[in-house]
Amino acid sequence: MKVKNLFKILLLITFAITSASALKKETLKNEMESKINTILLVLKDESLKQEQKGQKIIEIIDSVFDYNTMSKIALGKKTWNSISKEKREEFVKVFEKKLKSSYIRKLELYTNQKVEIIELLPYKKTRLQLVSQLVGNDDTYKINYNFYKNRAASEWLIYDVDLVGVSIIQTYRKQFSGLLKEKTFDEMLLTLKEANEKI
Amino acid sequence: MKNIILIILIAFAFNACAIKEATNAKNQNNLEIKLIDESISLDDDEFNDEFEDEFQDIKAEVFDPLSGYNRLMTSFNDKVYIHALNPIASGYTYILPQTVRVGVSNFFTNLQFPLRFVNNLLQLKFQNSVEELGRFLINSTFGIVGFMDPAKTEFDWQEHDEDFGQTLGFYGVGEGFPVVLPLLGPSNLRDMIGLVADSYTSPLSTTGSSDLQYKIPNNTLENIGITATNTINSTSLRLGQYESIKEDALDLYPFLRDIYSQSRKKQIEE
Repeated sequence: MKVKNLFKILLLITFAITSASALKKETLKNEMESKINTILLVLKDESLKQEQKGQKIIEIIDSVFDYNTMSKIALGKKTWNSISKEKREEFVKVFEKKLKSSYIRKLELYTNQKVEIIELLPYKKTRLQLVSQLVGNDDTYKINYNFYKNRAASEWLIYDVDLVGVSIIQTYRKQFSGLLKEKTFDEMLLTLKEANEKI
Repeated sequence: MKNIILIILIAFAFNACAIKEATNAKNQNNLEIKLIDESISLDDDEFNDEFEDEFQDIKAEVFDPLSGYNRLMTSFNDKVYIHALNPIASGYTYILPQTVRVGVSNFFTNLQFPLRFVNNLLQLKFQNSVEELGRFLINSTFGIVGFMDPAKTEFDWQEHDEDFGQTLGFYGVGEGFPVVLPLLGPSNLRDMIGLVADSYTSPLSTTGSSDLQYKIPNNTLENIGITATNTINSTSLRLGQYESIKEDALDLYPFLRDIYSQSRKKQIEE
């Protein structure tokens, strides 16, 4: 009888483990929560130099940020299709650098503040939005991470970050299209590169 | 015994799933590697049209008749921030501990109660107006004339920031065109009208003092003093924020104009 019970318990444990890993959307929230918490720990870690911190943070977030998609959206269909493969690669590289440093700089400001992950919501039919909140000194700021499902990898990836209602990728898209009215693509790329060097 | 068989069967089913999952994951890993290879070459010309729709601008061109003036005023404001406001606020931060500064900020926020109350009412957000009224009563008494915020910490009554510009937007009034105001920064025609109504309602300005009895400053000088204190105090709690936002700008004026317009749109929606 005792053996039977033990057997039952063991089986129940197997269920618990297997069914937990089956929920992919569910794990997204927890994974992001642990990622963000690790980032905050890195930022607070006084034994690390500023550059090392940046490097560590990038290691944590790189697998969920889809820089290619971000670049495509920011340039827009027309421009993206009009430039050569090499130019696209170059653009993605430069833009990726810009986005990374911008993200890290923003986080650095809030080292001592709390980040709360609030909920994962369905967004624009096929997407997901992770709503988080940064509790500042006398204000709270909503930070939304927008995910889409990458069909090839069947994985959820971030294509945009929304800070208090301002879409980061949208602001870049507006700026690029504005610049492209007066400049060629190469000149615009140069402006972006110069902006990268200023940091 | 029957139970055990059932459990075993179910367990097998789950485990089978898990194994499938695992092999899937393996495949995914392979795929991922492939995908990375592909993405490096950036071969796919196929553009996700869903994204294109989401980020498509409704207005292709921003109607900006004052763009020349706006540009000038933006760089003026930028210089004022960098050379005056930021150093003053930094010094202020050095003198006063954060707890005091947060208290001062709470105090000013509490005094702006009529503004939020009226605009929540005008936008038919009755629940919010009731909460605002409750916040004002509790914070003015138990919160030591507003320096503390027990309404938030004890009852979780959040502040519902609304102004007349948002109320106008709520009833469908368009932005008009962008105007950068001296010292105040980006705005637009609608929000400028809103600002006039705001200062009429706000106890912290002298506008409309003949009609409303609750005005705190007695003259313009006091008005300026209160506004300056409020501005320096709130800047001291946000040091570095402007700089970090500015980092995303390739061209400051259109960038700030876009941010302002996006965030106002969001505020009106909420």
